[in-house]
Amino acid sequence: MRMMRAIVPILLTIILVLVLDNPLGSLPALGRLLDPVNGWAASAERTERDFNFTIVSPAVKAPVTIWFDEYMIPHVHAANEHDVYYAQGYIHAYFRLWQMDLQTRAAGGRVSEVLGDKALNFDRTQRRKGMVYAAENSLKAIEEDPRSKEMMNAYTDGINEYIHTLKYRAYPLEYKLMGFAPEDWTNIKTVLMLKYMADDLTGYTEDIELTLLRDMLPADQFAMLYPERDYSSTPVIPAGTLFEPPLLQKVPVPAGDLWAHLKPTDFEAEKVSNEGKGSNNWAVSGAHTKSGAPILCDDPHLGLNLPSLWYQMQLQTPGMNVYGVSLPGAPGIVIGFNDSISWGFTNNYRDVKDFYAIEPAAGKKDAYMFNGVAVPYTERIERIGIKGKGTFYDTVNYTIHGPVVYDERFPGPGKLKKPLALCWMAHKASNEMLAQYLSNHARNYMEFVEAIMSFQCPAQNMVYADRAGNIAMWGQGQFVNKWKDQGRYIMNGKDSSTLWGKVIPMQENPHVLNPAQGYVSSANQTVTDSTYPYWYNGYFYQFRAWRLNSLLSKLNGATVQDMFAIQNDTYSILAEHALPIMLRYVQAKDDKYLGELKKWNNELSAESLAATVFQVWWECLYKELWKDMLAKDKVPMKPLVERTMELMMLSDSAIQQHQQPFLSNLTAAINSGYKLALDSLAKLDKAGNLQWYKAKNTMVRHLTKIPAFSYDERKLGGWGNTLNAAKGDHGPSWRMVVQMGKEIEAYGVYPGGQSGNPGSKYYASFLDNWTEGKYYKLNFFNNSAKQKDSSSIKYTWTLQAK
Amino acid sequence: MRFIINIFLTALLAALATWYLPWWTVAIVSFIVALLLPQKNGRAFWSGFLGIFLMWLVFSVFRDISNEHILSARMAKLFHLPGYGLFLVVAAMVGGLVGGLAAWSGAALRGR
Repeated sequence: MRMMRAIVPILLTIILVLVLDNPLGSLPALGRLLDPVNGWAASAERTERDFNFTIVSPAVKAPVTIWFDEYMIPHVHAANEHDVYYAQGYIHAYFRLWQMDLQTRAAGGRVSEVLGDKALNFDRTQRRKGMVYAAENSLKAIEEDPRSKEMMNAYTDGINEYIHTLKYRAYPLEYKLMGFAPEDWTNIKTVLMLKYMADDLTGYTEDIELTLLRDMLPADQFAMLYPERDYSSTPVIPAGTLFEPPLLQKVPVPAGDLWAHLKPTDFEAEKVSNEGKGSNNWAVSGAHTKSGAPILCDDPHLGLNLPSLWYQMQLQTPGMNVYGVSLPGAPGIVIGFNDSISWGFTNNYRDVKDFYAIEPAAGKKDAYMFNGVAVPYTERIERIGIKGKGTFYDTVNYTIHGPVVYDERFPGPGKLKKPLALCWMAHKASNEMLAQYLSNHARNYMEFVEAIMSFQCPAQNMVYADRAGNIAMWGQGQFVNKWKDQGRYIMNGKDSSTLWGKVIPMQENPHVLNPAQGYVSSANQTVTDSTYPYWYNGYFYQFRAWRLNSLLSKLNGATVQDMFAIQNDTYSILAEHALPIMLRYVQAKDDKYLGELKKWNNELSAESLAATVFQVWWECLYKELWKDMLAKDKVPMKPLVERTMELMMLSDSAIQQHQQPFLSNLTAAINSGYKLALDSLAKLDKAGNLQWYKAKNTMVRHLTKIPAFSYDERKLGGWGNTLNAAKGDHGPSWRMVVQMGKEIEAYGVYPGGQSGNPGSKYYASFLDNWTEGKYYKLNFFNNSAKQKDSSSIKYTWTLQAK
Repeated sequence: MRFIINIFLTALLAALATWYLPWWTVAIVSFIVALLLPQKNGRAFWSGFLGIFLMWLVFSVFRDISNEHILSARMAKLFHLPGYGLFLVVAAMVGGLVGGLAAWSGAALRGR
């Protein structure tokens, strides 16, 4: 009887415990999470936490001292190369473990293991485009060089040393929310992190859309709307720079049918603009600065996430003293300076990702046609673990060109079913780790150039300045000597004539040292003028470059404060040129919006109302202008905004001179665009969102997109086509200004904080200053600095063998 | 008196247990305390409930104050609660419910 009465509460207890100990749908295991002893509250870091630690780690060869300054930025002093990268691994893991884990899972297509089958398509895309294949190829190259091998191994060991100390209670909060556990780090994960960046920066492609447009439009119209390079640009390598005669011969365009052909019915893609995924960098020579020392600036525009993509550090050994931002998940400093030189990157955007149409061999499932014979595929079986569902097997067919990414079983963009193989520079074995190692150690221009010769992909515009007074710019990466138009459209994959040819010797990559203009700059625009001897295409943007060059060319007696102002500049070149035309042809009565626009200074500043009106009107006009371009068919990709603006200006002059404008629908589009804009503006007004920063809503979101861990409506101006390129979820991910004088004077800020823990006061501690365009003066200690000399040092870690 | 003793004994032992063992050991602790120090079912439930509720609340409040509510405020937003205080109470009630049911089980088995 007693047992009978007890059964009800016992069962209830057991059921409740089981429910709370397991995830329910998208809810985490609530009991584990809400338990304040081991769950969420274990991540509630004391705001006055004492970070002075002594860490016993048998792997270090000599004691390592790590100072943390007032921004929680570590300064690592190690006696040798092994220990410095070991310590870096330990520190990265200590502050950013979950982020490193998730990003490398994303890179290698292993998200389904922790999120279940809703991530399966994403994982398959990653696997099929060859991310793991690429990382395996590069890992071999990295492990062949003893320097990069030691760097990688030490870094991995440092991460694992930390992971092995972890019990559930100390797991980063996100593991408890998502219900998985840290696993051992391996070198391949580090390489996947590098390939994740390569994919982010060279993954964009227009080949599929251009293939269709090329077939649908008359040739002259196609050339007018989609020029292969914009020669109205102010190129990365200043126009007029002399290029040596090329070492490789120009490759003639082969005979025969080189292209694949598409019909509008083959797919229904509408391209998402890539604008704003870019960066600015420049260096001003001492002749134009107040101090007489060169100043180098860089602000890479990337996804704005928390935990931040970047982690600031200083790394010191007897042979190296380098400061800058590192990528959690990879050793070394990516962008920064050492005691002799400084450097920064923008994306180069030359096209290094090409597609080949594959013709399956008739009657054979496992072969494709090449040079008239059936060639068997090399099969690579991708095993994708799915949480709660076992393993999904995906067989990817590799051809002479590369993996068949899309086919009937896995359609491409807009459900395109044509089998397409991918030939991509990121697939090739390369050792960017060595480039990073050497650039971190480089003491002068020659050593820097030697360092970047190992940098193949993603191609970058590398700006350089040193304390000896030199400034330089390299459009660096591994490029193929292509025939005209090679790889611009999907190529016919059944003939050897379309294969990639020889690579261009790297010393012939476009570069310039100490140009007469006294500055170098890049903002993702066309790399060279038309005198560069090798043919290339790419995805170049001009607005920021036009603005940047006009500002830099006027500089005299420049200070670091002037550089801050340029990085935070929100002037719209598009508005400067397009708005007068829009106002000339708009037939609406003078309402309050047009009144605002007429008074406007073309600044996309945070609180501006006119900025919102212009941007909304422009978006509508841009859509209206191109929507009927292909008569009844959907336009797969609109011409660039730069090109659109230029065509508007040409058409405007034609109308003024009573000639037939190229854009026959200009007036109509301006007016129908304005009507549409009024509707959108009324909605924004009703919601109280007319101010530009509210209308565009720049967000810095946690990687899980959980609003509670994210920030939105950052009060800053700008857009993808202004220097301060703060868009919705993209923008300046690290603003750096370094004056390379006798004493190096460096400033920096990124939209986040040093800690990845949402429960730490260091989680987003830089965010407000970043929003307001303010900078931190960086603590760069020389090799002989003593702790007592600096009041900036707050905590010390010691890593020692016993 | 036993009601008070059971509350504090449950809280103390549960804190000790979960420091070394998984969270659900709070159920075992509440169950054993109710089994060894018998009360009527209703009183047992409430002493188990309050024991775990108080332990969770005190523990989280202690950590939350030294964290200056940074994380509790985010957790409140995550669970769509209007403030961190309510989050701390609601979370502790989840623990309390487990403790209460387990204590009721212990009491019912003892059958006083």
